Amino acid sequence: MDVVIQILASGLTMGAMYAISTIGLALVYGSLNMLNMSHGALLALGGYVCYFAMSHLGLHPALGLAAAMLVCGVVGLGIYYVAAQPMLKSANFETQIFIATIGIGAIIENVILRLFGPQPTPQPLNLSGAVVIGTVHIPNQNLLILGVALALMAALAYLLQRTRLGRAIRATAQNREAAQLMGVRVGIVYAQVLALSGALAAISGVMVSSLSSLLPNMGGDPMLKAFIICVVAGLGNVYGAVGAAIVLGILEALAAYVLGVRYSFAILLLLVIAVLIWRPYGLFGRRQVVRL
Amino acid sequence: MSMRRDFIVGLVLIALCATLPLFIGMRYFVTQATLFFIWGIVVLQWNLVLGVGGIFSLAQMALFAVGAYATAMFGYYFQMPMVLAMPLAALLTVVVSTLVGLACLRLKGPYVALLTLAVAQVLYLLIVNDTECFTNPPSGCMPLFGGVRGFTRFGDLGFRDLFGSKWYIADYYVGLGLLALAAAFSIAIIRGPMGLAFQALRDNPGCAMARGVSRFKYQLWVFALSAFFTGLAGSFYAVHFAAVGPTAFSFSTLLFLLSMIVVGGMGTLWGPLLGALLLMGADEAMREFGDWRDIGLGLLLAGFVILLPKGVLGSLQALVQKLRAKA
Repeated sequence: MDVVIQILASGLTMGAMYAISTIGLALVYGSLNMLNMSHGALLALGGYVCYFAMSHLGLHPALGLAAAMLVCGVVGLGIYYVAAQPMLKSANFETQIFIATIGIGAIIENVILRLFGPQPTPQPLNLSGAVVIGTVHIPNQNLLILGVALALMAALAYLLQRTRLGRAIRATAQNREAAQLMGVRVGIVYAQVLALSGALAAISGVMVSSLSSLLPNMGGDPMLKAFIICVVAGLGNVYGAVGAAIVLGILEALAAYVLGVRYSFAILLLLVIAVLIWRPYGLFGRRQVVRL
Repeated sequence: MSMRRDFIVGLVLIALCATLPLFIGMRYFVTQATLFFIWGIVVLQWNLVLGVGGIFSLAQMALFAVGAYATAMFGYYFQMPMVLAMPLAALLTVVVSTLVGLACLRLKGPYVALLTLAVAQVLYLLIVNDTECFTNPPSGCMPLFGGVRGFTRFGDLGFRDLFGSKWYIADYYVGLGLLALAAAFSIAIIRGPMGLAFQALRDNPGCAMARGVSRFKYQLWVFALSAFFTGLAGSFYAVHFAAVGPTAFSFSTLLFLLSMIVVGGMGTLWGPLLGALLLMGADEAMREFGDWRDIGLGLLLAGFVILLPKGVLGSLQALVQKLRAKA
């Protein structure tokens, strides 16, 4: 029984963490067909900004998190105007933006490396203490991550379903031209989506680094997993991504317990490949009819 | 017609390269040139996959590493002579790449990029996290895949015994020979039936598919075949540097090679080689600003994709065509 609680607890925490990194990616892919390879670097940037604001400027944790969200949001906006907007009309936008964001990610990551150095740094935004269920200790930090993830998902669902901006985002994702004809300013929607995704990356970065530590290249691994989750759910499907994130988090915890940490990622990947052979468009993705 | 022209251009370039060490015998220059040949092979093959076949594979460095590791392991565990180990390793790379292709190529565009990247990452993690000793030589515990340390002392091509301190010049010519073969293969693919099939799939996918040109089939072919030279390049890299380690998977190298293709001109025949030359030159020039290297690479990659997506050679070709159309 204790083992089950342990696996559930760590699996849910991981799943929640993946979900936060995934939502931003899914949102951007859903509306722009853009895979943002600099997302991992944004994660690291968010973590470092929060660290800098709290340790060097002595700000309150909430302000530190807000500063991280602000900086990453602005960088996301910058990525849209510098990289995505100029090539939005080009024929193979998907490939080009993918390569361009690999470059941008490398730039951000190395700027962080120059500023803060390569040594691991602890994230100051971290709760101590733990809740005990039976004989299982669940750190408060894990509970915080779970809580933040749930709150964020609720807020995002509200944003997408109930607000003007959300309706514009959904309309643009469904059909760019039709949305434009209905008077949606698509360019501004895109910019907002990227800023939002940057802010979400910041939160995710702070959470990820609070469990391990801050490193300039810390974003690579969570980003890759987030991508895998997006792919399993069907690229661009936000709600599917959240569900897939939690399921994969628990599966990973289970695989790590049964087979050892070494193989958990490999097992995850095999599973994903199996799913994709069965359903090439992801579990919740719709099969797209290509018009020639 | 144009195939013959490409072969002539290639032969002239090879002849030029073959005479170079007679004029500049500096060891540093020669070994850097050898490294250029190795990266040249990899980018030529990657370009076939990415620019010609339209497969967004990020597993090329992993395939390179498969070739390098296989060579080292054949030598280390079976004392196999390198002359035999190298082609065997390249064949093994083809097998691995066929498997990866079968798993990934049913998907399209960004899905392929992500899955191939994930495959590369899993291979890397499996090697690095392996701490169980497979053998216990006097130098210390040795995991099956070498773990973090990798392999050293698994044999060489025998040039050190033959030529003494001038062995690196022999390596130079081996590298040049391999590059020549890889370039010939690249020309044959681009100008041959497979290149035509891909061009048809690009220009009018509906018509091509209706005529029975299967995208999956041709993509799998090009992905599997090009892995031969990618693996061979990795194999030669291992022999040349007499060491293999998990650094072969490093993202920095991936970035470097991808930049070569993008800067030179994705999908063009000679563009990747031109890009490799330009970037290795730029890298040499930036050597004093070592820490800024990756930032510079990132700027180059993003800048070229945004401002000059066809690369240097592609843009030149477009310019020439425009001028001809006017005249």
